[in-house]
Amino acid sequence: MKNKKKLKTLAQRQARIGRLFVYPWLVGFLIFFAWPFIQSLIFSFSQLDVSPEGYKLIFVGFRNFIKALREDPNFIRYLFTEIGNIFVNIPLIIMFSLFIAILLNQKFKGRTIVRAIFFLPVVVMSGALLYVLESNSLEQFNIGAQSGMALSNSPFLRGIDFRLFLVRIMGNIPFLMPIINAIDRIYEIIWKSGVQILIFLAGLQSIPPSLYEVAHVEGATSWEIFWKITLPMISPIILVNVIYTVIDSFTDYSNDVLRYILEVAFRQLNHGYSAAIAWLYFLIIGVVLLVIIWVISKRVFYMNE
Amino acid sequence: MKRKINRSLWGNVIVIAVLTIVAIFMALPLVYSIMNAFKPLDELFLFPPRLFVRRPTLKNFTDLFYLMSTSFVPFSRYLFNSIFISFLSTLGHVMIASMAAYPLAKHKFPGSKFLFNLVVFSLMFSGYVTNIPRFIIMAKLRLLDTYFSLILPYIGATLGLFLMKQFMEQIPDSYIESARIDGANEFKIWWHVVMPNVKPAWLTLILFAFRDTWNDTYTPALYLHNEAMKPFSLALTYIQQGGFVRAGAAAAAAVLMMLPSLIIFILTQSNVVETMKSAGIKE
Repeated sequence: MKNKKKLKTLAQRQARIGRLFVYPWLVGFLIFFAWPFIQSLIFSFSQLDVSPEGYKLIFVGFRNFIKALREDPNFIRYLFTEIGNIFVNIPLIIMFSLFIAILLNQKFKGRTIVRAIFFLPVVVMSGALLYVLESNSLEQFNIGAQSGMALSNSPFLRGIDFRLFLVRIMGNIPFLMPIINAIDRIYEIIWKSGVQILIFLAGLQSIPPSLYEVAHVEGATSWEIFWKITLPMISPIILVNVIYTVIDSFTDYSNDVLRYILEVAFRQLNHGYSAAIAWLYFLIIGVVLLVIIWVISKRVFYMNE
Repeated sequence: MKRKINRSLWGNVIVIAVLTIVAIFMALPLVYSIMNAFKPLDELFLFPPRLFVRRPTLKNFTDLFYLMSTSFVPFSRYLFNSIFISFLSTLGHVMIASMAAYPLAKHKFPGSKFLFNLVVFSLMFSGYVTNIPRFIIMAKLRLLDTYFSLILPYIGATLGLFLMKQFMEQIPDSYIESARIDGANEFKIWWHVVMPNVKPAWLTLILFAFRDTWNDTYTPALYLHNEAMKPFSLALTYIQQGGFVRAGAAAAAAVLMMLPSLIIFILTQSNVVETMKSAGIKE
């Protein structure tokens, strides 16, 4: 018996130890994530009745799903708006945050201060603080929590109608509209890029400096260094950031679909139907994400390969 | 990083100009909320709102401290709850996620791919949606109204695992192999080779995790009903709900609330910059 154990290959032994490292996380994941997950799947096929004694599930088959796709006037519309948004935002957010992260990674005077200014808002303001900022004025009576982006609720920023201003100076020319729309999104893009910039920055700093030294010795220009070293080395992080961006915007509280799911659950108290649209939504994001991962990961470079 | 600076003067000017413009955009809301803390009540409700304060006052802060001293649960208790919860959740999340990330990135045992896909997919499923089932589980485990209802879910959280795995994948296998040849066991490899090499990643993760737990109002409101267990973030929203009269105190409390995240930010980011100088073996 003892001999047999020793005969195990290195890979097998590693596998065993590997699992050991994963277990603590796995236990937490199964209890607090996987189980609720399965429960909500069960909900989606049922009608959930809440009574003082507890809750009762009545199996209804696919009725909830059919209702979402055939009868519900809101779900599909919200869904397509969100997906459209994400395809415009992803490239803008990724390019912008990579650009800024590279700039912030340069050596210049006052770099620490500039970095601090960049990240402080992202780091410091979220949750309860944003809530206070949003509602800390008379505006709380006419916002009605309609606006898509949490920050545009901030009264100071709502005063600026950037889009109208742009249309006025550029004229209402059809082929300029995409540009105007893109500029109109600048604030949204900048605000949503904070985490991505941080991730890129951490990625840039994980590139071994020796690579740059070698490149310099070989006489490469900064331009060449960017395309031949920085970009390939950062490409896994680009994939990370794309996935993060997709997930972040699909699970953002200000997201129309999510708001609708919550409204169905907690206002209309239709938990079964809410679980069903949540699952539909989840499956669709899954497909979108898989396509994106598939397209990008073919171009990602790993140093070990 | 030993890079020769060979940028032209104009290059520098452009870099700084771009950064300044974007930095102003980023800083506006923060400046606005800090300014708010020093505005007297009439300026707070001015329309259209003004960015800068005209007649700065400390009355908001004295109001806040008065409120604190009269509250049913002492404010130090809220503060303790917040610190306790955020500290343990952050620590648990970062440690356990990076531990699990190491074999997922570097061992490739059977099922590791499946596990990782599970992680990515669970990331997509917004926490809001599984609230009801999760509440039922908390009730069954008798975790309601304990700190653990907030801390334990972070042990199974997936964002950190996802981030750490991606970063660990970039570590060259040769580092790990050479450590193994030198006789290090897996735990030592993880702690002495893998973790130092991804220091920027976990420092960033600490920052995110702390920010999320510190500012969270949603889950505490769901799982905690005992007033003495509630965190500071909830107390802040209570002040906020006091209406017009409390708007000043709420603005002041918001600024106080930023301080811990600020400290964590300064601590982690000042470390991130220096990391890569020491780590890394030349191949």
